[in-house]
Amino acid sequence: MIRFQRLVKRFGTRTILKGLSFEIQEGEILFVLGTSGTGKSVLLKNIVGLLRPDEGEIWIDGQEVSRLSEEQYFPIRKKCGMVFQHPALFDSLTVFENVAFGLRKHYRLPEDEIRTRVRECLALVNLTGIEQKMPAEISYGMQKRVSLARTVAVEPRILLFDEPTTGLDPVTTNAVNQLIFDLSRKLKTTSIVVSHDMHCALAIADRIIVLDQGQIVAQGTPEELKACEVPLVKDFLSEALEAGLEEGKI
Amino acid sequence: MIAGFRAIVDDVGGGLLFLGQMFSTALHYRPKSHVVFDQIWKVTLNSLSTTALAGFFVGAIMTVQFTLQVKEFGALGYLGGLATSGTIREVGPLLIAFMLSGKVGAFTSAELGTMRVTEQIDAVRCLGANPFQEIILPRYIAIILSSFFLLAVGLFMSIAGGLLLGVVFSGITAEEYLRHIPTIVTLPSIVSGLFKCLVFALVLASICTYKGFTTTGGAKGVGRAVVATAVATMVGLVIADFVTTLIAEAILSMAMQA
Repeated sequence: MIRFQRLVKRFGTRTILKGLSFEIQEGEILFVLGTSGTGKSVLLKNIVGLLRPDEGEIWIDGQEVSRLSEEQYFPIRKKCGMVFQHPALFDSLTVFENVAFGLRKHYRLPEDEIRTRVRECLALVNLTGIEQKMPAEISYGMQKRVSLARTVAVEPRILLFDEPTTGLDPVTTNAVNQLIFDLSRKLKTTSIVVSHDMHCALAIADRIIVLDQGQIVAQGTPEELKACEVPLVKDFLSEALEAGLEEGKI
Repeated sequence: MIAGFRAIVDDVGGGLLFLGQMFSTALHYRPKSHVVFDQIWKVTLNSLSTTALAGFFVGAIMTVQFTLQVKEFGALGYLGGLATSGTIREVGPLLIAFMLSGKVGAFTSAELGTMRVTEQIDAVRCLGANPFQEIILPRYIAIILSSFFLLAVGLFMSIAGGLLLGVVFSGITAEEYLRHIPTIVTLPSIVSGLFKCLVFALVLASICTYKGFTTTGGAKGVGRAVVATAVATMVGLVIADFVTTLIAEAILSMAMQA
């Protein structure tokens, strides 16, 4: 379980997160929606300790983590896997080495087992036969899927997605959304997805939080959000409707 | 003016903290040797030919300059010793280090800066690894070792360049050129030149890894980091040259008195 208590994050004189408090239950898929610059990515980076809050607390599995040192944070990061907005693949390593990076770091596995695990993870994101390619030799969409495979390879219990489908074609977008859903249900991972995509959120989220200027303006299940009267939520809903996607269940 | 001074102090402070973190990492973790050797190979291979060429011409320039001076006194026999001494102790390490700062420094800073802005360094942290251990330390060690080796190669090539120009331009034989090198270029002056090479390698490695690692602001930020690396390295090398010259001169005069 993850719990935020009065989380505040500032950059200089700008306050990005203004006292956020909410909880995420184990195995839950939580979508965090909001316009650009509202602090969605900042929220994710606070969970994995890439940024530290200026005020407030973050509790992960009963442990307060916001004041931990960089080294004390390593075990927490083993629990959390983050898929970045950019693929963030190590461009001097092959696709295979990228996916194997976390496995080599955390587990003393025989090479055969690492190879099998890497293939399994790449197959999970519908990629085969590209193990020896360099990241620069594959498309952006494939890079994003390799990034997802790399994160999943170490079997994190908490998955954080920073706009996982941005820049992907509709088919791959659906595949990634399906994967988020499957992982959450089969492996019981807790997933937090930062996105602009209300259609996808309505389809697979257990709960949705809408952020505006660093504060929660609405939260609830997809059904509850559909009935919400907050203007920003209505804007998101109408955009999904206009695109003719609102009824789509994956 | 005050803001500029403050920015410099901030930068130097940040750099010292960065180095502290790196040395602390070096004390606790051993970088993977194959990664270090891979980096050494890359840096050396990329810069060997240009460093050798630069060293050759530095030696050649020094010989031409000294020829004009010593000819007036009819002391061409001392040309080799004087030109080589000046090159090894002062001009050679500095000019070759300037060249390396453009080649190795800019490359490393751009590489690390790109890794920073494309979130590769954050990804390393998220995978539970220490970026200092995985990325920075192997590069830092490799740059120091490679740069030291390249500077030494450059100095050796400067002797070759000086010798060739001594024969072609100054009209003395190779034997005449080489005769006084052992008497003028003493062991302490060779040590002083190599000491400078080591200090310059440290300055170069520290600045380019720090500037690259702290890059912010996308592609523009990478550009800014590379420019900042070039400027800071040049300034750093000149200051390091001044300090090492003072130290080397003190040691040399102590050695001569003994």
